Amino acid sequence: MENYAIEMLNITKTFGGKPANDNISLQLRKGEIHALLGENGAGKSTLMSILFGLYQADSGIIKKDGEVIEIKGPKDANKYRIGMVHQHFKLVEVFTVLENIILGSETTKFGFIQKKESREKIIKLSEEYGLNVDPDKLIENTTVGMQQRVEILKMLYRDNDILIFDEPTAVLTPQEIEELLKIMKRLAESGKSILFITHKINEILAVADRCTVLRKGQYVGTVNVSETNKVELTEMMVGRKVEFVVQKEECKPGDTVLEVNKLVVSGSKKNKNAVNNVSFKVRRGEIVCIAGIDGNGQSELAYGITGLEKIKSGSIVFNGEEITHSSVNRRNKMGLAHIPEDRHKFGLVLDFTLENNLVLKKYNEEQFQKFRFIKKDEIRKYAEELIEKFDIRSPQGPTNSARTMSGGNQQKAIIAREIDVNPELLIAVQPTRGLDVGAIEFIHKQIVAQRDLGKAVLLFSLELDEVMNLSDRILVMYEGEIVGELDPKQTTVNELGLYMAGTKNNVKGDN
Amino acid sequence: MAGWLWFLLQLVIIAGFVTYLIISAKKAKQENRTTWFMKTWEKDSVKSIASSLMSIILGLLIGCLILFIMVLIPTQGSKLSMKSAIDGIQLIFSGIFNTGRNANGSLIFGFNSVNIGDMLFRATPLILTGLSVAVAFKTGLFNIGAPGQYLASTSVTLILALSIPTSVVHPIFVWIIAFFGGILVGALWGVVPGIFKALLNVNEVITCIMMNWISANLVTMLFDKQIGPFKNLLDPSGTKNLAYVFKTTHNGVATPKLGLDLIFEGSQVNFGIIIAIVIAILIHIILNKTTFGYQLKACGSNKNAAKYAGINDKVCTIVSMAIAGGLAGAAASLYYLAGNTEFAWETYQSLPAVGFNGIPVALLACNHPVGTVFSAIFISLLDVNGMQLKYMTPYNEYITSIITAIIVYFSAFSLLFKQILNGKIKINLKNIFKRNSEKTVETIEKETATEDKKEVIE
Repeated sequence: MENYAIEMLNITKTFGGKPANDNISLQLRKGEIHALLGENGAGKSTLMSILFGLYQADSGIIKKDGEVIEIKGPKDANKYRIGMVHQHFKLVEVFTVLENIILGSETTKFGFIQKKESREKIIKLSEEYGLNVDPDKLIENTTVGMQQRVEILKMLYRDNDILIFDEPTAVLTPQEIEELLKIMKRLAESGKSILFITHKINEILAVADRCTVLRKGQYVGTVNVSETNKVELTEMMVGRKVEFVVQKEECKPGDTVLEVNKLVVSGSKKNKNAVNNVSFKVRRGEIVCIAGIDGNGQSELAYGITGLEKIKSGSIVFNGEEITHSSVNRRNKMGLAHIPEDRHKFGLVLDFTLENNLVLKKYNEEQFQKFRFIKKDEIRKYAEELIEKFDIRSPQGPTNSARTMSGGNQQKAIIAREIDVNPELLIAVQPTRGLDVGAIEFIHKQIVAQRDLGKAVLLFSLELDEVMNLSDRILVMYEGEIVGELDPKQTTVNELGLYMAGTKNNVKGDN
Repeated sequence: MAGWLWFLLQLVIIAGFVTYLIISAKKAKQENRTTWFMKTWEKDSVKSIASSLMSIILGLLIGCLILFIMVLIPTQGSKLSMKSAIDGIQLIFSGIFNTGRNANGSLIFGFNSVNIGDMLFRATPLILTGLSVAVAFKTGLFNIGAPGQYLASTSVTLILALSIPTSVVHPIFVWIIAFFGGILVGALWGVVPGIFKALLNVNEVITCIMMNWISANLVTMLFDKQIGPFKNLLDPSGTKNLAYVFKTTHNGVATPKLGLDLIFEGSQVNFGIIIAIVIAILIHIILNKTTFGYQLKACGSNKNAAKYAGINDKVCTIVSMAIAGGLAGAAASLYYLAGNTEFAWETYQSLPAVGFNGIPVALLACNHPVGTVFSAIFISLLDVNGMQLKYMTPYNEYITSIITAIIVYFSAFSLLFKQILNGKIKINLKNIFKRNSEKTVETIEKETATEDKKEVIE
């Protein structure tokens, strides 16, 4: 009999009659990195929530070291030494690293916290696994990568030996990802068992020993990573063949649609402009991609162009008209479409129905109103058309609340709405963030289709694959400035990484 | 005796119906089909109504409990007995139908035109202040300024209705001028916090409270006995400490009854209730059928998305507060133009409760404009029942106020009940008894769990 650290056998869990997990089994060997692969909504998070005690399974058993155990809450999970790094970190911003790590399991003497022992343990652990964490730094002053290492330390501090990583690479730069994967390997070598939840196949191939694939709540299979490849894994995950390379024809740029001149946007930081002296042009029929590590001014640049943030200086010319200080409404009317970075904050009114979200920019048009009275039937008809055309799935169709739709379908709804206004310029900010392979493929096709129709596309992306595959021209942003203009056909991911990290700069003059 | 039996019968019928629903739903679930009840249950509006009803019933039950507790507390000279508690329960549930006591001393029930008419009359301003709060809520604003808007409108309505000589202008036109004058001043009082919120991002709650007290002191000054510019409008029959402004009938201005006094004989009800209901329906149409309502709701649910869609959120905020103020103003106009109501104002005493009561009215109606009509009528029903309790039993007026307050308090739980009905909150008795410190980490984890769950359920 094999020696398993954790076994989850025949787990079934339904939500409101819909199975999120249907008879799923997962066996984690001691000291292995076991990947859990699946699209959004495949049931990965549910399965892990059951293991972490957030949900109780309807049926099925969990075994630890061969013995059946019952996990009723995170406290129990901690008792059985199961730890989890959540996708969104659970850290108190104004506490130090040390305080965050000991939070919930403080050593006390007469009710006072004893930090000395804890500090020693943390420093020792940090050195042992090469985590390089400063225990006295405030969380708000640390990088995302560091915060993640603090989360890892939290698990190690509690002597957890089963570590769950929930989509850990979604928020990291390529260099940080590499670092994390190294740490994971080191942890596994020292005897920790790791569950690695992801939908990025490259990372699985890089570190995992075995991989369990889920699809739509069903168990598809478990494979040895050394015996499989990218194509096979993707097919297992999606259930069909997926094209990784975006099929597109030669770019034929036309007239300039958008011209940005020495743009400065102040942003939220006090002493530094988020966007500093940025100039570029976007022409008809090309996809220009702004690449860079998150937080280098891309969001502010996008908000500046779309009118959501005030411009400090510089100018924006759109189709020959200056729109530097125009209202959002005016820009929309002129044919500027915007797929926003944060689909919950900007893209959707979550409490509205899908159909009302689909007309968010069109409700005022003749087609949908008469004497200011909304034509509900017209909206329904239009929504049904878009749902059909863009394959937006939701249980109740047009009347479904946007809040209860899956992330991929929410994004499809936004894209449907933005593309259907027949824009002159499409600004897409991280259009595929957090989506699975199938949805990404669909969105990429739509964006390329817009380009081929002669529209100008300005794409903001953090994903290197997306930048390299989709764009016709790459502009790299670093600390609010454009530091490089690259041709995706003549550059490599490595070179791009160097520009993104700010060590290279090929733009002179203006900057 | 009859009332007591009726009450039992009602309980049995309701319990029987609920059991039937539960049993049929269970059976259907086993056979994998759905009943009409399950289909209706899925609708959001049904859940809203059910949750409101549940919270009302819970409030009523706790109110009854207090009646018993009062009996048990030994007080010197207390006339309370078990019988008064039982009488009290009947009155809390159906005091509006009370028509007195028979020869045996037990309560008798029947159609009481005065009570029902008074209930509608008291509901009139509540409907409008409830709407005022609801409209602001829909736009994501908390209009706690309804009392101030109400008070400002009161003074202007009275001044206009009493100062314009009816010998020159026809009383109907005076009525109309006073009505719209009140609305305008209410809107003015509402628009100030709106402007501050939109342009300077000052929290509307703060400015609304400021405006409340500005209004309170301004009105005190206007009707001051010595220096008030409108002291000529004071009724000289008032006592030394209490000053009354003339009723509007003093100038021959009053809301017409339009036959309502024939249906509800002897009560104060007038055409105002119809106006309030029409306004509620109008607001419903504006919010749900027009592009303007679409804009307001978009701003209310997600300001950023509204901005992104090109909607001017600042204008939305200002206009929404103006409408909210105008509605609170209309509440005061309708109440004081009734002709049989007098305005007594003492320095710094308090702000009009009817303004604050708009908040529970709106909450109880889940901010639905037409719903406010029903919740306002319900709250004035409680008022009327409370008065019956005061007159017909030894319970004093303070107890009745406390019980009414408790019922209103519990009615604000409707949102909680709705979340429970939606399965968003699971009641776990074990968790409640757990120590708080243990809960903190868990609650954080649970929050993510619900987020994850949302993603799972496509």
